[in-house]
Amino acid sequence: MIFLFIALPLVVAGLLPLLGRVSKRVLPDALANAVLLFLLVESVLMGKHLAGSGPYVRTFSWLGEPVNLRLAVDGFSLFMLFTISLVGLCAGIFSIDYMKHYGAKANYWALFLVMIAGMNGLVLSADLFNVYIFLEVAAIASYALVAFGLEYDELEAAFKYLMLSVVASAFVVIAIAVLFGVTGDVSFAAVARGLQDTDSRWVVAACTAFFIMGFGLKAALMPFHAWLPDAHPSAPAPISAMLSGLLIKVSGVYALTRIFFNVFGLTPALSTVLMGLATLSMIVAAFLALGQKDLKRMLAYSSISQVGYIVLGLGLGTPLGIAGGLFHLINHALAKGLLFLNSGSVQQATGTRNLDEMGGLAKRMPITAVTNLVGALSISGVPPLNGFWSKLIIIVALVQAGQWGFAVAAVLASVLTLWYYLLIQRKAFFGKLDERWKDVKEAPFWMLASNVILALLCIGIGLFFALTIKTWIQPATDALGQGVRIALGPWGM
Amino acid sequence: MTPNTLLWPILVPALLAAIFLILPSRVRIVREVLAVAGSAGLVVLGFALFAAKDLTLSLPWLGMGIDFDLRLYQFSSFILLALTGFLFLIALFSTAKMKDDPKAREYYGYVFLAAAMANGAVLADNFVPLVFFWEGLLVTIYGLITIGRKKTSNRTAVKAFIISGFCDFCMLLGIGILWTITGTLKMSAISVRPEGIAVLAFIMMMIGAIGKAGAMPFHTWIPDAAVDAPVGFMAFMPAAFEKLLGIYLLARITLDLFTLEKGTGLSVVLMVIGAVTIVFAVMMALVQKDLKRLLSYHAVSQVGYMILGIGTAVPIGIAGGIFHMINHAMYKCGLFLSAGSVEHRTGTTELKKLGGLAREMPLTAAGFTVCALAISGVWPLNGFVSKEMVFHGALESGSVIFAVAAWVGAIFTFASFLKAGHAVFFGPRTKEVAATKESPAPIVIPILVLAALCITFGVFNKLPLESFIQPILAGHVEAGTHLDFTSHALAVFNPVAGISILCLLIAFGLHAYGWKRGEKKAYLASEPVHKFPGLRQVYDLAEARVFDLYEQGIKFIHGLSWVLFKGIDRPIDFFFEKVVTSVGRAFTGIMSKAHNGQYANYLAWSVGGLVVVASIITLLVK
Repeated sequence: MIFLFIALPLVVAGLLPLLGRVSKRVLPDALANAVLLFLLVESVLMGKHLAGSGPYVRTFSWLGEPVNLRLAVDGFSLFMLFTISLVGLCAGIFSIDYMKHYGAKANYWALFLVMIAGMNGLVLSADLFNVYIFLEVAAIASYALVAFGLEYDELEAAFKYLMLSVVASAFVVIAIAVLFGVTGDVSFAAVARGLQDTDSRWVVAACTAFFIMGFGLKAALMPFHAWLPDAHPSAPAPISAMLSGLLIKVSGVYALTRIFFNVFGLTPALSTVLMGLATLSMIVAAFLALGQKDLKRMLAYSSISQVGYIVLGLGLGTPLGIAGGLFHLINHALAKGLLFLNSGSVQQATGTRNLDEMGGLAKRMPITAVTNLVGALSISGVPPLNGFWSKLIIIVALVQAGQWGFAVAAVLASVLTLWYYLLIQRKAFFGKLDERWKDVKEAPFWMLASNVILALLCIGIGLFFALTIKTWIQPATDALGQGVRIALGPWGM
Repeated sequence: MTPNTLLWPILVPALLAAIFLILPSRVRIVREVLAVAGSAGLVVLGFALFAAKDLTLSLPWLGMGIDFDLRLYQFSSFILLALTGFLFLIALFSTAKMKDDPKAREYYGYVFLAAAMANGAVLADNFVPLVFFWEGLLVTIYGLITIGRKKTSNRTAVKAFIISGFCDFCMLLGIGILWTITGTLKMSAISVRPEGIAVLAFIMMMIGAIGKAGAMPFHTWIPDAAVDAPVGFMAFMPAAFEKLLGIYLLARITLDLFTLEKGTGLSVVLMVIGAVTIVFAVMMALVQKDLKRLLSYHAVSQVGYMILGIGTAVPIGIAGGIFHMINHAMYKCGLFLSAGSVEHRTGTTELKKLGGLAREMPLTAAGFTVCALAISGVWPLNGFVSKEMVFHGALESGSVIFAVAAWVGAIFTFASFLKAGHAVFFGPRTKEVAATKESPAPIVIPILVLAALCITFGVFNKLPLESFIQPILAGHVEAGTHLDFTSHALAVFNPVAGISILCLLIAFGLHAYGWKRGEKKAYLASEPVHKFPGLRQVYDLAEARVFDLYEQGIKFIHGLSWVLFKGIDRPIDFFFEKVVTSVGRAFTGIMSKAHNGQYANYLAWSVGGLVVVASIITLLVK
């Protein structure tokens, strides 16, 4: 059944432009969201199944010929599937109202679903080449989505994004090719075994550097981040939420982590480099966010900073650090998704993204103001919201591992984060209502619904963080914690 | 009588208080009947418990030695009886005085809650319940003062709360130290020699006790409250309940918890506090122009006698101090109620406006006169007996100076009451006050009862001394010591009594001189002392509250907070608001400039990053 995660969105995406001729809005909206809802339910059900039977691998045959498409599910991929479906569904619900004025909704949904299919495929792949393929599938859909508004800025941003991403993809392909050359195979299991059998330190070192650049660029780690603050704000709000909430994590963090942990095995050297880059991102991007006037640009820089947290936790490599990193991954996906969607509500209501022009919007958009506050406090790590717990776990893990310097940096970045989020809240929502915005209305129903769901998730996960960790985070941590053995063992086929 | 009966004196008034607070203001009759009947029932209960003497109740509570221990014995049953008696008189008085007060509902509630707390504090045999009840009492004091509804009532309530809170905090510290030393919180199990750290515990607990009793320098809220609080509260709390509780605790500290010995430093400390309180407070009382304020300073001054007596650490002094406590509660309560009676009919207690009321209010005047003579120590009233005992104690302790201070106090006490009585009830009738008549029975009866008690305790002093006071000391003096104080206390013809009587004559002379100098206006009789060179400046400073530690402390704290704000808070604020933000902005600005949107630029960073990463990995792998 796991094939459905890729096939269903792809097939529906193929049908949608045709269906768009029949029904401009209602049918595409309903169909796309139904697909997203189905995927969410499926990922939850599969989680139950998986918890009982352990990770499994599928090979597919087409007309009697084996097709070399190996898909594997373990705790980590399942966790990612769940996150993708959850945030995807919320962004989807938001799009129902938000994308009205863009037109061409069927095309939008087609691209949206292709991106979902690409991300799902990526997290289910069990070989390096499939990783590359799905990476490109998701990326190409995202280039088109960034440019969806077809304004000058959007096209420019999409082009810049495309040009830098292509470079990244190129390095990824080079690294995969080198590994194929050394080990004679591209499946995780074979590559892992091949690398163990031969002394290939230098090959691994070179490939590591290439992967860090390639996936690091996708994940917007500094100094490979520069495309993100242009690309993410330019996209329509739900796409910004998808890109910041999901795509950078799936095509960047997930791919990086999967390969480094389960194929290469995390070495101290790698750990140091990852943590160094993570800290650099965390701090510098926080400062950059502080200087922004554009609401969505500020959020975009914040994404870079928060990805730093995730990579810092994962790069530490201790079970607690991994758990903290993964927990922050889903928390950030929810909260940043929420914030980008809120920014969309604000932009639609006022027509501007400039914080200096806003003010007092809480009086006109009370629900949006509250959900935005929840998201902001969550990312800033204010108890009892979810972001607090994940940051706490990361910091505790750092302290436990004796990494005091990194722990202090993490706390410092957290303070900066609170700083600029309160800046947003104050400039946009609090204070005196500007005369210009006296006719502003609260966002329409579906947009509000999506925001409220995400805000409730932020609160709920914060209150029931122990349950969340037990159900979703722990299996994923276990999968990563086993390191290379998981590729050699259950995936060995 | 089972040990559980000990809960009644606490639960019954608490229950009544709850009823009063819930009961709507309009059902006045129900409230007053309940208050009088309930407090009368408590008096009966008080007598029953006094007859029962020894009862202990121990309920497990929080563990760690924190149990709900109550103990009824000689001393506490005596205090309990007195507390219930005063509660009854106050309740009776209030039915007339608080009749139309819009806050009567809360007034009765707080009064009975205070009674519950005071009864609990007296019965407590474990420090934790003691502190619980002690602090509960403090809350009711706050509430009762605010009921005065004067402009400064809230301020005075806060002042009382802070001063008492400070004293209670000291007591808490003392209890903590004592707990550390002895390892137990059960009061009846503790007896420590005041040595080393125990001295600190003694002093801390002593501050708690004398602070409650209203000794200097913890007295300053009482004269303020005299003006701001309902007069019933003054008769109830500073005149009676607080003295009983404070001196009870002081006696417990010096007799049971610690063994205070004659001639030790701590004994001298207590005697100094007592003597200072007597003299300074009476000097303030003398020059007051308002009857209630005058009385309130006496309420402070008289505490000095009690502390002096207990501080002497000789049996007759201690007995005198405790006897003075009960005597003082009676006549001071009577005096405040008389003032209340005058206020009830005339609407003022300013001496200047009053005069010649004896004809219209003969019963009040009679009650006031008896109580005033009692507080001044005129033979054969109760004040004479207990003061004589304190004088004897002071002399026996070996320091004549303290006896002299006590005598000085006696001179000015009498002088000020001559002035007050003269100004209010005798002399020419003033025009400021319209023709009036005697107060209603519920006000007059308590005054007359108290006056009668003053006479009884004075003339038949054997009775209270033998049934109440001597048994308290029984376990605390060396075996075989002569415990009969009645012989020399009653004897009028001995040198000590002679000096006391001489003091009274001096006081009379002072008053007569001042009265003549003041153009035969009684309220000006203290002016010669007031205007005496040297004293006048001191009085002016006192009027400006220079000696009020609370006011000075508030000023100091305001100053300190200003200095801290300017000296520490603002620089820190400057650091965060200006230094941190500008550094952050500068850094942000530099980084933002680097993000100029140039594709080539960004690509260069990426490639540069790759080179750096690759070289670091290469270095580390090697």
